[in-house]
Amino acid sequence: MSKTFDRIAAITFLAVGALFMVESLRITKSAYGSAVGPNVFPFLLGLILVLLSIKLLFETAKYAHSESEKLPLQYKKFFIILLAAVFYAALLETVGYVITTFVFLVIGFQAMEKGGLWKSVLFAACFSLGVYGLYVKLLQGTLPSWPIWLQ
Amino acid sequence: MDALTFLIDGFQTALQPHNLFFAFLGVLIGTAVGVLPGIGPMSGVALLIPVTASMTSGLDPAQAATSSIILLAGVYYGAMYGGSTTSILLNTPGESSSVVTTLDGYQMAKQGRAGAALAIAAIGSFVAGLVSLIALVLLAEPLSNVALKFGPAEYFSLMLLGLAAVSGLAGNSMTKAWMMTVFGLLLSTIGLDNVSGVARFTYNISFLYGGLEFLTVAVGLFALGEVFKAILHKEKNDGEIAKIGRILPSKAEAKESVGPIARGSLLGFFVGVLPGAGATLASFFSYIMEKKLSKTPEKFGKGTIAGVAAPESANNAASGGAMIPLLTLGIPGSGTTAILMGALIMYNVQPGPLLFDEHPDVAWGLIASMFIGNVMLLILNMPLVKIFAKIIETPTKYLLPLIVAISVFGVYAVQVTIFDVFLLIGFGLLGYLLAQHDFPLAPLVLGLVLGPMIENNMRRALTASNGDFMVFFEKPISLVLLIIAFLWIVVPFIMKLKGKSIIVNEDM
Repeated sequence: MSKTFDRIAAITFLAVGALFMVESLRITKSAYGSAVGPNVFPFLLGLILVLLSIKLLFETAKYAHSESEKLPLQYKKFFIILLAAVFYAALLETVGYVITTFVFLVIGFQAMEKGGLWKSVLFAACFSLGVYGLYVKLLQGTLPSWPIWLQ
Repeated sequence: MDALTFLIDGFQTALQPHNLFFAFLGVLIGTAVGVLPGIGPMSGVALLIPVTASMTSGLDPAQAATSSIILLAGVYYGAMYGGSTTSILLNTPGESSSVVTTLDGYQMAKQGRAGAALAIAAIGSFVAGLVSLIALVLLAEPLSNVALKFGPAEYFSLMLLGLAAVSGLAGNSMTKAWMMTVFGLLLSTIGLDNVSGVARFTYNISFLYGGLEFLTVAVGLFALGEVFKAILHKEKNDGEIAKIGRILPSKAEAKESVGPIARGSLLGFFVGVLPGAGATLASFFSYIMEKKLSKTPEKFGKGTIAGVAAPESANNAASGGAMIPLLTLGIPGSGTTAILMGALIMYNVQPGPLLFDEHPDVAWGLIASMFIGNVMLLILNMPLVKIFAKIIETPTKYLLPLIVAISVFGVYAVQVTIFDVFLLIGFGLLGYLLAQHDFPLAPLVLGLVLGPMIENNMRRALTASNGDFMVFFEKPISLVLLIIAFLWIVVPFIMKLKGKSIIVNEDM
C-alpha cells in the first residue's frame, strides 16, 4: 500500500464528495408529486464519501513504513501509447477511421517492440480496413470515413 | 411444470441458427479470454458489449438483447473453462478463480499427466455447469414470484444488502471498497433525474445530460485499465509450457474425481448465489473442503486429481449460481454480473422478477443457451485443448494495442461521440491508478449500475410515506434485509478487531 497515493486519493475523494454536496444544494429541492427532491440522494452520498475519505486519511496515519520494492515501470512505452491514443481520439472524426486506426496501431506495435515493421504495417492495415469493411459496408454502421481531401 | 414448457420455448430461441452462432462465438472468445493471462472475464465481457451491440444492430430490440446476452454470458462461463488451461500448463492462472488449480494442476503437468488434468477440469466444469443450470431452472420462478411481492422499500433494502455484500468482501480495505461504491453511486446521479427531469451536475455540457454511459466507464476501467497495467509492468510468460500428452483420464483418476466434482458443484453453486462471494472464493472453499474430507490429505499439492476436479467444478458452478440473483432479483453479486446487468439495461431489458414475465424469451433463451454453450465448451476444451494452449503464446506486442483499438471502436460505434472516447481513456487511467493501489473496481461498477434503481426506489418509498425514513424499518421484510446488510458490514469488522484474518475476494 502506498501511503502517499492513499493520502492524495483520500483528499481528492474528500473534495469530490464536498463538491457533490455543495453542488446538490443548487438543485431544486422540490419535485412535483414527490416528497423527496432530486437533491437528497446525491447530497447524502456526498456526505458519506466525505466521511469515508476522512476515515481513510486516519487509516493512512497507521500505515507501516514499508518501502515496497518497486519494479522499473516502462514509462516510455506507456506514454507513447497513451499519447497516440489521445491523438487517435482527437483526429478520429477529421481524418477518418481507417487512417487514424492504422497509424495508431503501427505506432502501438512499434512502441511495444521495435522491429518487424512490415508485419506491423500488415496487421494494422488488415485490422483497420477489416473493421471498416465489416462494420460500415456489411453491417451498415457509422464510422467516420475518409477525409474530405481524399474523397 | 411451467418451468419445463418455458425451458422448451427457451431452447427454440437458443437453437435458432444466429443464436447458436452467438453462443459459439461467446464460449470461443470466453475460452480465449480465460487462457490469456491478463485479461479476466470482467474486461473480456466489458470489451465485447459494444462489439456485440454493433453486431446485433440489424435485429429487432428484443432479439438483439437475447443474442447479445447469450454471447456475453458465454464469455463469462467460457472464461471459467479456459482459466484452468494456463494454471495447469504454465503455473500461471488465467484468471483469479483458477489460482487454486495451479497447486495440483501444475504438479500433475510436471508428472506428465497434464492431459488428464485438463480433461478432468473440463468434465468437472461441464457437470457443474449442468448442476447449476438445473438449479437455476428450478429456482428462477419461485424466487422471482417472491420478489414480485416486494415494494419500493423492500427493493431499496435488498439493493443495499447487495452493495454491502459486495463491498464487504472486495479488496483488502473495506474503507476503500465503500468509497468506490459510493463514488459509483455518485457518478450515477450525473445527468437528467429520472423522477423529476431536473438536470444534475451537467453544467450545460450536452453530452452529460444522458449521464455517464455505463459502457464507456466499464470498458475504460477494466479493458483499458488492464492494458495500461500490462504495458507499465511488463508481465513475463517465460515458463515452459508443459506437454499435454494423453487427454483421456485413466479409470482410476475418473473414479477418484466423481466425489470432488459432485461436492464442488453443489458448494460452488451455493457460494455463487450469495452476493459478494464469487467464483474465486468458491474454488478456495471447495479445495479446502476436499483436503479436509480426503483420506490422503498429504497428497494435496503434489498432483492429486481431486485438487483439480473440485475447484474447477466449483468456479463454474459459482458462475451459474451468480446468474440467479441477477436474473430473478436484479441484484448482481459480482463485478462480472454487474457488467452483464449493465448490458441488459442497455437493451432496455430490466433484470429482476418481471424479467420472466416481460421478456421470457430473453431469460429462458439465455438459460437454454447456457446448456448448449456448456456442451460446446466440453467439445472445445477436450479434443481442441492443444490448439487453445497455443493462444498462450500470442505476443503481447500485438495484443495490447489491438485491445485499445477495439475499445475505441466499440465505444465510438455505440456512442458516436469523441467525448466518450476521451472519457474512455480517462477512465482507463483512473482504473489503472485505483486498481494499482487496492481500490477495488467491482464495487464502483456495481454502484454505477444499481445507483438509479436505488435512488428511484428510495424516493418512491419516501414519497409513499411522506418523507418519513422510518418506512424502511417498519416493513418487516425490509427490516430483515437491512439487519442482514448491517451484520454483513459489522461482523467482519469485529472479527478484524479480534485479530482474525478474513477471506477476501481479491478479484471478482
